Amino acid sequence: MRLLVVEDDKDLNRQLVTALQNAGYAVDTAFDGEEGLYLGENEPYDAIVLDLGLPRLDGVSVLEKWRRAGRRMPVLILTARDRWSDKVQGFDAGADDYVTKPFHMEEVLARLRALLRRAAGHATSEFQVGPVLLDTRSSKVVVDGNPVKLTSHEYRLLAYLMHHQGRVVSRSELVEHLYDQDFDRDSNTIEVFIGRLRKKLGVDIIETVRGLGYLIGKVDAKSGEPAKLAP
Amino acid sequence: MAAMRKTSLAYRLLLSAAGLSFLILLIAGAVLSELNRRSVTQAFDERLRLYLKVLVADVASVTDGAASDIGNLGEPQFQIPLSGWYWQVVRIDQEKDTAVVFRTSRSLISARLDYLVDPNDPKRLADSVDGFITGPDNRQLRILEQLIDLGESNRFYIAVAGGAGEIVTETQSFNTALLITFSFLGAALMASTIIQVRYGLQPLARLRRAVTAIREGKADKIGEEFPIEVAPLALELNQLLDANREIVDRARMQVGNLAHALKTPLSVLVNEADRDDGPLAVKLREQTTVMKDQVQYYLDRARAAARAASVGSLTDVDEVIAAFLRTFPKIYRDRDLVFAAAGEAGLRFRGERQDFEDMVGNLVDNAAKWARGRVDITVSAAAAPVGAPPRLRLTIDDDGPGLPAESREEATRRGRRLDETKPGSGLGLSIVVDLAGLYHGDFSLEESPLGGLRASIILPAV
Repeated sequence: MRLLVVEDDKDLNRQLVTALQNAGYAVDTAFDGEEGLYLGENEPYDAIVLDLGLPRLDGVSVLEKWRRAGRRMPVLILTARDRWSDKVQGFDAGADDYVTKPFHMEEVLARLRALLRRAAGHATSEFQVGPVLLDTRSSKVVVDGNPVKLTSHEYRLLAYLMHHQGRVVSRSELVEHLYDQDFDRDSNTIEVFIGRLRKKLGVDIIETVRGLGYLIGKVDAKSGEPAKLAP
Repeated sequence: MAAMRKTSLAYRLLLSAAGLSFLILLIAGAVLSELNRRSVTQAFDERLRLYLKVLVADVASVTDGAASDIGNLGEPQFQIPLSGWYWQVVRIDQEKDTAVVFRTSRSLISARLDYLVDPNDPKRLADSVDGFITGPDNRQLRILEQLIDLGESNRFYIAVAGGAGEIVTETQSFNTALLITFSFLGAALMASTIIQVRYGLQPLARLRRAVTAIREGKADKIGEEFPIEVAPLALELNQLLDANREIVDRARMQVGNLAHALKTPLSVLVNEADRDDGPLAVKLREQTTVMKDQVQYYLDRARAAARAASVGSLTDVDEVIAAFLRTFPKIYRDRDLVFAAAGEAGLRFRGERQDFEDMVGNLVDNAAKWARGRVDITVSAAAAPVGAPPRLRLTIDDDGPGLPAESREEATRRGRRLDETKPGSGLGLSIVVDLAGLYHGDFSLEESPLGGLRASIILPAV
């Protein structure tokens, strides 16, 4: 999962980035409205944390421009403005959630998890495929009740595939969503990570679809069998 | 009262009009009265002069020896004793410089007339003199005197007098008529002045009513047309109102900026403290909570001050509710709540939009927190007694668990925080209670037909 934090306060920005990285996300940052607008328009983020009082271009305008440009990623507004009219304006501009400052980091993390889950069409914070259980709250993975220790990259890869289960995810999409923009990207490393992940999980839930990418199939909750792919 | 009258424009206009009218009428009256008196006197003198001419002729004929009888003027008044009509002829002895009474009218009996000019002092005698004297019966008399010189030391001084009462009566009756006429004229002038002042000052009264309407919140600007003398004032007032609103808006913006400026570093401190369990972090958490409350407290105070300074705000109820109907389903997206609004359209709340949003927003938010599936918002015009300003009623129903009667009562008391198991719920209601009180509104909680809680709020409307 790759996120963008648009916040002009350097300390708060750093805190958010650190907390989000610790929670297993790849994080990009922007410190003003124009930079945020550019990144949000051109990079495929899974969610964005957006401050409203930004230099150069205010947050509401940034959000409106993204929505007009057809960008549909979930956006969490993080602002000191707590009037109802501010909230109405924020939601009208296309926000998906609204957190007022001062806030506790836990709240932002929980709201972001909910946004990502909702975007994936999932009702709980736990994702289960076969014997593999991924808990987005604790960023932990359990197979058949036994915890599996994953690196942050491995976790991100598994989490992204599980959020998009039932859909073939291409290698380039994985690269775009697993690494922040400063990372030296190489799609070949994906193959390496997939291999390591399969080994650590011990069960083969990740399918390779030749020439297209990877797939974690939806599993029917009752039968435990992979559900049929949509044509 | 006197001081107030002095500063009244109408009073000044009326006073100056009354003073000027009085002065003009007084002068005109005096002139007319004098002219009349003169013409009456002149008419009287004409008669006396006629008698005088006859006498002169008689005296001349007597000295010629042609006739012995003089003074037959054909007027019986001269025969009746002390009738007020007299004549008298004296002969002036030039050598002795004395005047000897020659003949008098019968009406004088033995009395004599006092001449205007003493005939004993012949140097002062003029050809003809007229004037007033007091007669033998102490009546005012009009007298004409004439000196005739018939030669051969035949010099006579002749006087004819008539009762001046006629002149006095005539001038008096004229003056009375004049006084009555001019009194009516003065009254008519004053009445027309009052009408003029009323009519002329009407725009000022209209302006005052327009300003009152703004202060009472029935209008937000002076919209009427005014005559060119008052129009600039109305324009200035409108601009003053605009400037006032601008100041309020700026103050709010600055408060918002301050909040933003303080809340971001506070967030940093809170999150820094959250990552640690040392004594410093504990202290920091404790102090940031205090700071957070302080920021909120002063934000609320600044908002209240801005609210008090602004006048004449109107808030479109439908607009606010439509905005909330868009927003709340997004806030509670995970809960599948249905938010619905019903009731009268086109109502307006007489007060600040932000306050209205705070009340409705907090009530809907509170309802949504407890609701199982549904929140209903209903707006209607509330029944108000005749003559009282109109009011609107807003009810918010939810199908949640509701509240027992005791808790409902406690929740509607000012400054109380109710059960806070759902974050913010108690605080939200206390803001509603405070704001409703500020607008002399009415806030109540009851059982909802949906099964949960019904919050009703009655507010001033337009």
